[in-house]
Amino acid sequence: MNVAIIGCGGMGRLHAEMAANCGLRVVACADAVRKAASSVADTHKAKAYEDPMGAINSKDVDIVVITTPTPTHEKYVKAAAKAGKHIFCEKPFGRSTAECRRAIAAADKAGVNLFVGHVVRYFHEFEAMKAQVDDGVIGDAGWLKIYRGGIFPGDPKSWFRDYAQSGGVTFDCMIHDLDWARYTFGEPERIFCQTLMRKNPTQLDYSQVTMRMKNGVIATIIGTWAHPSGFRVKAEICGSEGMIQFDSADAPLSAEARETAAGPTMIVPMSPVAKSPYQHEWEEFVAWIEGRGKPRVTAADAMRAVEMAEAALKSAAKRQPVTV
Amino acid sequence: MTKIGIMSFAHMHAHSYAACLNAMPGVELAAIWDDDVRRGKKMARAFETSFVKDLEAFLDTEMEGVIVTAENVKHRVLVESAADAGLWILCEKPLAPTVEDAAAMVTTCKKAGIGLGTAFPCRYARPLMAVKEMLDSGAYGEVYAVSCTNHGQSPGGWFADEALSGGGATMDHTVHVADLLRWMLGKEFTRVYCELGNQLHKDTLETDDLGSMHLEMEGGVQVSHIASWSRPKSFYTWGDVTMEFICEGGVINTDAFNQKLTVFDDKAMRVSWAPWGDNPDLGLVQDFVSAVRDKREPAVTGVDGLRATEVTVAAYDAYKERKAVKI
Repeated sequence: MNVAIIGCGGMGRLHAEMAANCGLRVVACADAVRKAASSVADTHKAKAYEDPMGAINSKDVDIVVITTPTPTHEKYVKAAAKAGKHIFCEKPFGRSTAECRRAIAAADKAGVNLFVGHVVRYFHEFEAMKAQVDDGVIGDAGWLKIYRGGIFPGDPKSWFRDYAQSGGVTFDCMIHDLDWARYTFGEPERIFCQTLMRKNPTQLDYSQVTMRMKNGVIATIIGTWAHPSGFRVKAEICGSEGMIQFDSADAPLSAEARETAAGPTMIVPMSPVAKSPYQHEWEEFVAWIEGRGKPRVTAADAMRAVEMAEAALKSAAKRQPVTV
Repeated sequence: MTKIGIMSFAHMHAHSYAACLNAMPGVELAAIWDDDVRRGKKMARAFETSFVKDLEAFLDTEMEGVIVTAENVKHRVLVESAADAGLWILCEKPLAPTVEDAAAMVTTCKKAGIGLGTAFPCRYARPLMAVKEMLDSGAYGEVYAVSCTNHGQSPGGWFADEALSGGGATMDHTVHVADLLRWMLGKEFTRVYCELGNQLHKDTLETDDLGSMHLEMEGGVQVSHIASWSRPKSFYTWGDVTMEFICEGGVINTDAFNQKLTVFDDKAMRVSWAPWGDNPDLGLVQDFVSAVRDKREPAVTGVDGLRATEVTVAAYDAYKERKAVKI
């Protein structure tokens, strides 16, 4: 099968590599920024496009990967579905539940496979935590806390910095944890959120959420794009018979260069694994297309995650809890 | 010689306060009163002082101040009786489980001209004092958001009996952080939302064992705080106080009691943390003793205790109403 990458930023490049690792051919790379498109295209000896529709409608393309800014996902999902292509869409699935619903309808109508990359479900540490919870190691879970984030992503002109497009750390980053909490502990009941979404003098976002699940479990989730540097994930799950903790700062490998070209150095923790979580989600996606099983995350799950993130931002605006 | 008495050893912090008094030159633990006679006698032996069974006789003992470490609901009556006797008072936190009680205690002591302090020793924890200095220096600029925890193990006993404690983990573990933030930022709390949990110890506890709170302070500072009895019995230590400050000029993180050794003990088959930092209780008790000598208010006042109780009570109200409420 042949793959088209729509949106050749960091995630587009990463997914192109994962697709190639799965034995697929990357044949088309589209980006409004010509240089970005040709850079990824050159790596894979693919054709570069400025117009995404050209890549999507290219006859030799079987799978369309959508790694564009969130509000454009619906448009490209619909176009890919109409062209009969299978779809790998980066998370968040859409900027609103309504967008997601229309995208799902288009894929259903066309009979194509639509996958959304909620990759945290594939991270080894999160898989391991879910297994411990499911095995009852800590008894009945009562509370969990997930902390995720670091520096504000993207350069000064990046779409991430436009809250209308990205939704800030709550919508773009914490959506991983909202999804994982629901994946592991079932449906949410209500959500409360405080978030900064500051622009000036320094752009920073910091989001603090409490989500009550229908089974009574309380999830406290903190997302930060407010740190001067770095990236960190911490998780803690408490139950009636114990507790599980994870901290990415507790890494098996770390390095700090003595000199860098720009500015101060930073200790970078690393956690090498044989198969990356991105590779794993791609393998499930490809297996699904080939009729060998179903992925652990559905488009409906991804829509529900958007619904939760939307509810969080609504709560932040109202300063009251929102039923979800 | 400054003579100080202790009223009740129901709260385990009394042990530390008694040890602090005994360690201070020019200070004498004058007497112990306890409504649990056996406990009172045992503690009097342990801390080499006398046990006085009768409350009036205790209050007539030659001394200038008392530390009240009874169950939460008993604070008011004991504080008021000590105030009547003209004694300076350091009251264990929470000052009281209700705003009505806490306010009455403040009023009574004010009218009697008595210095009333609330036992918030975290203000004397060196890492937390350093945070306040960093914030006060202005180097980090305006504080926009703070994420906090005050976790503990389940203390059991009267703490879990609402009739004596007035509430569970949220009653127990909200006031320290509420007081720290008021002190560090010089702002009052204006609003709170709270989810209460009771799934961690549901077979043994009637009360909440966790509160996940979202608060606002004057100027719109966004605060989350977890008050809990969530640390397992097998955990390294009693719990923690952690705070992450998101400021214009950067981020400040504190894990206030993270001055410790990790000890692997094969005999007990246990891994635990052995603290080596300065004892915050000593600073608290030293300030109280000097307040007694100078006949001034303790640095952490009864009003500070009242404000922290207002936050806690509002958190319980918010959960009852399932909405954010004003403080």
